[in-house]
Amino acid sequence: MKNSNFPASRRDGISAAPSIQLDGARKEALDTGRHRLVVTGVLLTMAFSVIAARLVDLAAMGDGVDRPAPRIAAVDQVSPGRADIIDRNGVLLATTLPTASLYANPKMILDVEQAAQKLAAVLPDLPIDTIREKLSSDRAFVWLKRNLTPKAHFAINALGIPGVYFRRSHRRVYPHGALFTHLLGRSNLDGKGVSGVEGYFDETLRHERAPLRLALDSRVQTILRGELGAAVNKFSAIGGAGVVMDVHSGEVVAATSLPDFDPNSKSDPKEEARFNRVTKGVYEMGSTFKLFTTAMALDSRTVSLTDRYDARSPIKIARFTIRDYHAKNRWLSIPEILIHSSNIGSAKMAIDVGSKKQREYLGAFGLLNRPNFEVPEMGRPLTPFPWRDINTMTISYGHGIAVSPLQLTAGVAALVNGGTYRHPTLRVVTGSDTRDTRRVIRKETSKTMRRLMRRVVLSGTGKNADVPEYPVGGKTGTADKPGNGHYGGRAIISSFVGVFPVDQPRYVVFILVDEPKGLPETQGLATGGWVAAPVVSRVVAQMAPLLGLDPALNTAEKERDFNVTAVRRQHRQTRGNPVAAN
Amino acid sequence: MSIAVQRTPEMTLAKKIWQINWTFVFLITVTASVGFVMLYSAANGHIDPWASRQMARFGVGLTLMLVAAVIDIRFWLRYAYIIFFLSVGLLVAVEVIGTIGMGAQRWINLGVIRLQPSEMVKVTLILALARYFYASRPEDLSRVSYVLVPLILIAVPVFLVIRQPDLGTALMLLTTGVVMLYIAGTHAWMFIAAGAAALAAAFPVWKFVLFDYQKQRVLTYLSPETDPLGAGYHILQSKIALGSGGVFGKGFLQGTQSHLNFLPEKQTDFIYTMMAEEFGMVGALALLGLYTLLIIFGFAIAFRSRNQFGRLIGLGVTTAFFLNVFVNIGMVTGLLPIVGMPLPLISYGGSSMLTLLFGFGLLLCAYVHRDINLGPGAASSDM
Repeated sequence: MKNSNFPASRRDGISAAPSIQLDGARKEALDTGRHRLVVTGVLLTMAFSVIAARLVDLAAMGDGVDRPAPRIAAVDQVSPGRADIIDRNGVLLATTLPTASLYANPKMILDVEQAAQKLAAVLPDLPIDTIREKLSSDRAFVWLKRNLTPKAHFAINALGIPGVYFRRSHRRVYPHGALFTHLLGRSNLDGKGVSGVEGYFDETLRHERAPLRLALDSRVQTILRGELGAAVNKFSAIGGAGVVMDVHSGEVVAATSLPDFDPNSKSDPKEEARFNRVTKGVYEMGSTFKLFTTAMALDSRTVSLTDRYDARSPIKIARFTIRDYHAKNRWLSIPEILIHSSNIGSAKMAIDVGSKKQREYLGAFGLLNRPNFEVPEMGRPLTPFPWRDINTMTISYGHGIAVSPLQLTAGVAALVNGGTYRHPTLRVVTGSDTRDTRRVIRKETSKTMRRLMRRVVLSGTGKNADVPEYPVGGKTGTADKPGNGHYGGRAIISSFVGVFPVDQPRYVVFILVDEPKGLPETQGLATGGWVAAPVVSRVVAQMAPLLGLDPALNTAEKERDFNVTAVRRQHRQTRGNPVAAN
Repeated sequence: MSIAVQRTPEMTLAKKIWQINWTFVFLITVTASVGFVMLYSAANGHIDPWASRQMARFGVGLTLMLVAAVIDIRFWLRYAYIIFFLSVGLLVAVEVIGTIGMGAQRWINLGVIRLQPSEMVKVTLILALARYFYASRPEDLSRVSYVLVPLILIAVPVFLVIRQPDLGTALMLLTTGVVMLYIAGTHAWMFIAAGAAALAAAFPVWKFVLFDYQKQRVLTYLSPETDPLGAGYHILQSKIALGSGGVFGKGFLQGTQSHLNFLPEKQTDFIYTMMAEEFGMVGALALLGLYTLLIIFGFAIAFRSRNQFGRLIGLGVTTAFFLNVFVNIGMVTGLLPIVGMPLPLISYGGSSMLTLLFGFGLLLCAYVHRDINLGPGAASSDM
């Protein structure tokens, strides 16, 4: 009974199988067996858990695979590159060059030190420490240098370092350097347009082969940028903006914002230089707004040219006082208000027009909404809310409202082209294309405004804008820059908006100089008349012959016809010659 | 002298069939059906050439399994060694008359079917070890000389299989054997000593025994990205396919990595990857769940067995099955080196299917005869 597993029972086999009662040793063995079974089961469970975790990791948390570095097959699929951009005359503004870029798979590099030394010898502008660091990375792909020169490409190829590869890439090149910086914008390293025309037309440029033709004229652009830059330097200004726009088509033939930078340069430009003052910057324009005030007063028949306003004393409203810089202290006619740039007269005129009409007119001139234009960097105009009488008054002379130079230019174009607003555009507009035009003022009002603008240049604040052969009309603007919530101090924005030829207008030229400082030769003044008007004059003098405009040889004759007798008479009645007020 | 009761009278065939664990059979069938579906997909939506043949083999295997299950367990006990030595003999035979397949000498061509003895040894080794330990006493298990015999039983087929050369199967045989030694109750210090010896032996083995391609596999496993187009290609493609399936997969027959033939051996070793690509993480985990259920059943059967022979067989078969699953999934997910191990019940392949089902047959046999008491004399007593 006791020793059932001893030989005696062996022959019994199953039929004589051990007794019900197991002895201690066997029981112990069975326990050990069960114990080990459990241990095994636990181990198996753990192993399966690891596998399940791995599956979740691979499938749900990303594949966890270091994908091999792209090979030639992938490189061949790179698109032929972005389409070119040309100006209206076919001059190349932006193009794409095929280049090779250098990358490495550090895991394939056999001798980091040797490879770094060889590469540094060929690429002197790449510090050897940087190369060493990159080649020691534990990633499978590191860029070493983008856009190699063909010479460097050849030299590195000849080195034959394993683990170092080339990737065919493209480099965007702007042959004119900084000339079109802000308008054209830039594309990033992956060939995606991020700003300017490159950003706005990104899809087109990426998928079409034909070059993109813009309304820009690189000759006019060169003149504009050169002259504006000279003025910015001369008056130690912090920046400037200039626009030349076709009054009939709305085409922007030139536009420049200073300071700028060379988009071909690899270094990052300063924030200041990246800012597009033409489209993104909004400024209180000052007296140039009086053009709109006068136009809306005349157009709505609120006043006639012969009406006069009492400008003898400043207007006190709420806690504000509106005064003229060079107060005439008398009654002023409508033309005189513009020529003398009277704030008091403009404010009273605007009140008579009314806030509602003022908003309607300014809206029609495109001054209250962000315009549609072919760059993504567009500033939203700052307009008052609520629009009270005091706002109506300050806006009449260009304060309390901020618009971009592009908006002002487009508004003035509508003012002088016969009274229809055309959206400013960088696209080439064909003759029959008249969409998006809207009548803003009557034809007669437009004609009157041209005459008044001519008067400003002939005998008002804008004398410096005149060009002997090409009659220019215009209006100066000098605005205090708001600082720390109040106006004052020395910071001003000086501008001039000119139109020529004034009798049959073709182009509006707008120049804005930010924070110019007065010079002895300008009697310490930095007003629009002294700073911006001469720039317009020089730009017109150079671009007019280029664009094939006939010089007006019989200027004097034309002037006689041009000057409305009524205006002249009015002048005599109000005694004396107009003196530049602003 | 003793009460000597016969606790389980001889069962009739009908009773034995009734006693078969049909839930387990059902689970096996379900898992195999997943395999048919995947083989259908691997052939780009055709039942030929793989799914149809696999189904036929499963039919044969299922019959083999049920027959093995109802045969008296004492038969297996008695002929365990003979069966084992027969299969080892076949293993020797492939050395002599084997034909070259897949660059490795593994097959015996019997005209009708091609036999892969290394697969058969997986089961027969279990049988032999179970036979050896079925009546061992605790004092035996602490004797080195007692454990020497099973070590030789393990070493012979392992050596032969390595010679083929089939590293994966050899390691599996070794692991299964060691697990069985452990379950049988061999003293713990022996394992510690063996572990130390194995470490000491690793260097010469690496240096002199392993073939270059085997070494390369191990090295590639350590960093497959060093050779993405060469030795690391399999594992890299497998991981890409696994990852591309995501949580819910690309859909049946929609796996791009597998159907566009980026994935190698998709109908055999890498079938699990294809499944994960098409049915996603959810599908892959579901299959893993099925396997887990099968293994739990296997363990339960082993646990339930009142005789050590049945327990060891149940455990050995379950362990071998587990190792098969673990090594295959481990390798396709990049956890283990690529050793060329099919996914049991799913991968296309005749020998592995038949031997596995035969193993399951032994497991079921242990279940059917779970209450039979096998004394030390059972192996030699006449039946």
